[in-house]
Amino acid sequence: MDMDFPDPEELQWLEANNSNLEDDFDIELDHLHPPSPPSEPEPPESPAPGEPSLEPRLPPSKPILPLPPKPSSIEPQLKINSKKRPRSDVGSPLSESGSLGDVVEDKRSRVDDENGVRGRINGCGDDDDEDWLRFSPPQQDRRDADLVMVGEQKVEKVLSRYAAEIEGDFMPVTGLDGERVYAKISGVEKEERVKKLEIKGNSEGLTLEPIRALMQRVEHDEFSKALQASIGGESDVYHSEEPVGQEQLWVDKYAPNSFMELLSDEQTNREVLLWLKQWDSCVFGSEIKSTEDDVLSALRRHSSGIQRSKYSYRNSSKNQRETMNNKETLGAHNDIRENNRSQDILEMWEKKRRQSGPSEEKILLLCGPPGLGKTTLAHVAARHCGYRVVEINASDDRSSSTIEAKILDVVQMNSVIADSKPKCLVIDEIDGALGDGKGAVEVILEMVSAERKSDAGKENTAQEEHSGRSSSKKKQRSASLLRPVICICNNLYAPALRPLRQVAKVHVFVQPTLNRVVNRLKYICNKEGLRTSSIALTALAEYTECDIRSCLNTLQFLYKKNEALNMLEISSQVVGRKDASKSALDIWKEIFQKRRMKWERKSINISNNTSDESEVLLSLISNRGDYDLIFDGIHENILRLQYYDPMMQKTVKCMDNLEVSDIINKYIMCTQKMSLLVYQPPIAVQIHSQVAQTDRPIIEWPKSFQRYRTISLEKLDTLHSWHSRISPYISRHLSAKSFVEESVSPFLHILSPPTMKPVALHLLSEKEKSELAQLVNTMVSYAITYKNLQSGPSPGSQRHEDLLDASSLSFDPPIHDFKNFKGYTSCHFVLSSAVKQVLVHEVEKQRILQSSSNRAISSADPNNKEIYAFSANKASVLQSSMSNHATSSSEKQVTAENFSRQRQQALSLSKPINSGKGATANGPVRSLEKKKKAFGFFDRFRKISNNDSQSASHDIQKAGATQRNMRPFLFKFNEGFTNAVKRPVRMREFLL
Amino acid sequence: MLWVDKYRPKTLDKVIVHEDVAQNLKKLVTEQDCPHLLFYGPSGSGKKTLIMALLRQMFGPSTDKVKVENKTWKVDAGSRTIDVELTTLSSSHHVEMNPANAGFQDRYVVQEIIKEMAKNRPIDTKGKKGFKVLVLNEVDKLSREAQHSLRRTMEKYSASCRLILCCNSSSKVTEAVRSRCLNIRISAPAEDKIVKVLEFIGKKEGLQLPSGFAARIAEKSNRSLRRAILLLETCRVQQYPFTHNQAIPPMDWEEYVSEIASDIMKEQSPKRLFQVRGKLYELLSNCIPPEIILKRLLKELLRKLDSELKHEVSYWAAYYEHRMRLGQKAIFHLEAFVAKFMSIYKSFLIATFG
Repeated sequence: MDMDFPDPEELQWLEANNSNLEDDFDIELDHLHPPSPPSEPEPPESPAPGEPSLEPRLPPSKPILPLPPKPSSIEPQLKINSKKRPRSDVGSPLSESGSLGDVVEDKRSRVDDENGVRGRINGCGDDDDEDWLRFSPPQQDRRDADLVMVGEQKVEKVLSRYAAEIEGDFMPVTGLDGERVYAKISGVEKEERVKKLEIKGNSEGLTLEPIRALMQRVEHDEFSKALQASIGGESDVYHSEEPVGQEQLWVDKYAPNSFMELLSDEQTNREVLLWLKQWDSCVFGSEIKSTEDDVLSALRRHSSGIQRSKYSYRNSSKNQRETMNNKETLGAHNDIRENNRSQDILEMWEKKRRQSGPSEEKILLLCGPPGLGKTTLAHVAARHCGYRVVEINASDDRSSSTIEAKILDVVQMNSVIADSKPKCLVIDEIDGALGDGKGAVEVILEMVSAERKSDAGKENTAQEEHSGRSSSKKKQRSASLLRPVICICNNLYAPALRPLRQVAKVHVFVQPTLNRVVNRLKYICNKEGLRTSSIALTALAEYTECDIRSCLNTLQFLYKKNEALNMLEISSQVVGRKDASKSALDIWKEIFQKRRMKWERKSINISNNTSDESEVLLSLISNRGDYDLIFDGIHENILRLQYYDPMMQKTVKCMDNLEVSDIINKYIMCTQKMSLLVYQPPIAVQIHSQVAQTDRPIIEWPKSFQRYRTISLEKLDTLHSWHSRISPYISRHLSAKSFVEESVSPFLHILSPPTMKPVALHLLSEKEKSELAQLVNTMVSYAITYKNLQSGPSPGSQRHEDLLDASSLSFDPPIHDFKNFKGYTSCHFVLSSAVKQVLVHEVEKQRILQSSSNRAISSADPNNKEIYAFSANKASVLQSSMSNHATSSSEKQVTAENFSRQRQQALSLSKPINSGKGATANGPVRSLEKKKKAFGFFDRFRKISNNDSQSASHDIQKAGATQRNMRPFLFKFNEGFTNAVKRPVRMREFLL
Repeated sequence: MLWVDKYRPKTLDKVIVHEDVAQNLKKLVTEQDCPHLLFYGPSGSGKKTLIMALLRQMFGPSTDKVKVENKTWKVDAGSRTIDVELTTLSSSHHVEMNPANAGFQDRYVVQEIIKEMAKNRPIDTKGKKGFKVLVLNEVDKLSREAQHSLRRTMEKYSASCRLILCCNSSSKVTEAVRSRCLNIRISAPAEDKIVKVLEFIGKKEGLQLPSGFAARIAEKSNRSLRRAILLLETCRVQQYPFTHNQAIPPMDWEEYVSEIASDIMKEQSPKRLFQVRGKLYELLSNCIPPEIILKRLLKELLRKLDSELKHEVSYWAAYYEHRMRLGQKAIFHLEAFVAKFMSIYKSFLIATFG
């Protein structure tokens, strides 16, 4: 039987693995069966038809186990397997846990076979997938990679979607999901072996993935195999072997594949891991509850150590042996690994898991600059916790419809066979393409919110599961987020991520310490035989801002060119500088801070330090663009810096520079000559040269300019709206712009005369009354009134004022604000609130009078005249603020109707007046009966004034007052009697 | 109604302050041939009053009957339609508007709206005037493009329409527009004129003005008639029987500027500059134009300054004001001036006192 990839190296590994496996078996299964090496050697011979090659499936499972380089995992797992296998025999072939053992036993049974094959298919499919995914940031140990690969290749041989790929006999098998594959029918197997087959791995028999995804995976699989073949060549274990022709990127080659190897910040790593572990109760449910296994695990670890030593020994010894067969599928290895993994880890996290249910935040959002290892961390951590990583990155289709299907597949995995390895979704570069990324974000958010809704219910199920164990597992089938989702982005503040930020647990990656990076680089260089100095490596790391990927790529590049890394090259063109634009805050920091590192470098490379620095800054700023913001930030922060400037010369220079930038900016904007923008960054560099300090500046986001803009716009708006309310005769002479400049202060003085006494109106002398009238007139013509402000008195009005209640009256267009400067106390007199109250009523009344008279009078001229007339009449108007209002006879226009709306306070204030007034007023006294009748007619309105000048008697007055107290206002209709000018009036005019 | 409005002359005959100008205008009207007019001068000098009186002279009292319209115009600007909102005051003979309010769309206002208005001859000519009048306020705030579009309109429709332009500074009106108008400079009224007006008002109101009191107000008023009258009324409100040395309330923002000035004089450091910035922002956000702040600040500083520095400081103030007009963000330039002043003053102090 031929390999799909007749690569000599591969064959070698295969062989090595096989031998390896054999050994493992030997060790492990000793007590159960006699060692059965023949099965491995046999494969080279063509498989016996009719005998499904189930046995070979086993061996690859083991090699995969050691995924974490911890050797311990291999051994215990095998033990488990060996223990479990016999048990699985008993299980019904159609049971959900679809035991392969049964399949094998009942070899001829198609159905069973199908089951088994299906399991295998899925197993391998998943595994392939994972391997593929793992590949993109490959984290495996070389050894693991090899083993996995071996397994895959075996899979290829046994099962294939294409008949052509299988040599010898095969039969078509159709899975429950419609997946059709061709299974190889192969040689003799031993029953004992069969029994050992792992059950669990087949759990994914009914794949959730659509067929398309599976197809993709098969492709990936092939690709990954090819790649891994090359990886393997350089692994630690097979160090002696020749490098393969096709070289792998160091980045992939030395990617960390275990949790301990991660370079990123420990704290973040742990938190990510913890977060993942919090899913255990939800994902793994009660599957593993293994406190009592503590001892066992220790044992395993111990034994694995032994095994490992053997392993390596075998490796070397059996290297030469050529074994071609390997009909094994990966079917089994998944389960073993998973079991192993989950158990191992769960022991460690058992306590935490118990305390916390599925984590609060359903989504983890990792963000940070490129090259710090976010993706790596996500993959490693997920695998560490026993998940199979499914990655969606920017290269995939990310429209919301496709992504939704994908996510749902992964996240809501309601696997029929519940023992399968759960998936963990990693969405890489979620911030990448905004339009597309949004789709993903929306889908996720939707699921999270669905989760929230059914939270209570879910909680229960989770609990139940915890106690009720496997029986209740199927309750998880609700459509919600049941698998961890890790999102990765570069820019946390990308607009598309805004909603996600609120629901996700956010981890911001920080740069790993320089030391760690340099150490790793050194290690890699040693491994590769690249001569470097640690100084050079430090410089490189620093230059790339600890971007490990970029460091490694650079090193590999140099290695290829057979050049040693030296200091000069870093700053020359050898190392590509990232064109990443920094955030504005970083740029301000750069501007205000001298680079301390630069000083160190100066000792090495004195020549062009300063020019270099400014060049860096220049390119930084030009990359960023958005000069407006940058200069705002400079302006905002520059005066807070601690630079030495006794004569203010530096400040003057900086300010002048800012001016220049502003002028240039305006010029550019006016003329649209964008090419002139290039002159902006040098200005910032100039400022940098003036004020940069070594100590860390405290930088604030520029707010004050924006604040000033909004405030002034707001105020301008008030002015304009007020301006438009003033009658045109006045407003045309008053420009809103110069109002503050020259009118506000005197205007406010005029509006609050200190001579105004807070006494009842009737106690005022004639002169005071006329003053009041004058004031009211002014206020009306300038459309100013007082308004209740609930938000406490303004600081200016507090001083002179006796506040009656919490609310205070202030000017309605808040013109008093225009003289309120921070830290300035004006000497404006503020009226007492009693006076203000009076003014409010008077202004209101006056306004109504005026509007009605305006309507009544249509001639052009009399407007002004009329106003004078009013002011002459003011005294009487004021006095008769109550219902019965006698208009003076001189005003024929005004007599049409007089009414006023009063508040309760005013009522009480002016009641005494009325009693006195009733006597003096001329006109017939209305009878009480008539009034009541009127009330019946116009029940809702109560009368305030009559249009004929009449006054009611004292007691009527009183009755009216009490009634008025009960209802908002009065309206009385007097039928058939008037001595005034008749004219049609609309009801709404009364309701002003 | 404030005295400012109450005693505003309604006709050209009653004008006190710019009597000569008023008489010339009257002659212009009576000769039946009125060119386009451009009124310019500082605020509070009486441009608007004169214009209104002129209109009244032209068309009689019917110009007083105005209606306010807040209309949205749909302007077709090539590919898209732009909505321009504009408030107009119009009588049967004239239309007042402030095209600069349309902001950067002022070009369309001029090109479309004004042209539209200018085109239409007034219907009821009745043998009186064959034209209508468009009063445009704040022409100096118009963008260059708008002014350019204006000049063609002025020529083309001069038969049916007269434009009366009103602005503070003629320097910002393009030459082309200026040359098409009869320029009328309304200078800030001289102090004695102001005193005359104040006394006139005092007489009308029946007030006893102590001698010299009106002069003091006039002096305080910065030669702005409106301000003088407002101050008089303020004084009247605060304390009526005027005393000889009655305090005339200051403008609040000017007080604030003088506070800033004394801050600057006390200490010269970036930190102090930072505090000053906060206060400048306060002023600016209260809609006080930056040029005026700078002017006032210079005035306050000069008052406290040694005479040998005055020249230099004034020079720099002019320099920075110029740059302020070139630029956009007034605060940058105001601050730069303050920084410059601090630098000059400090070196002066060190040179003088060691």
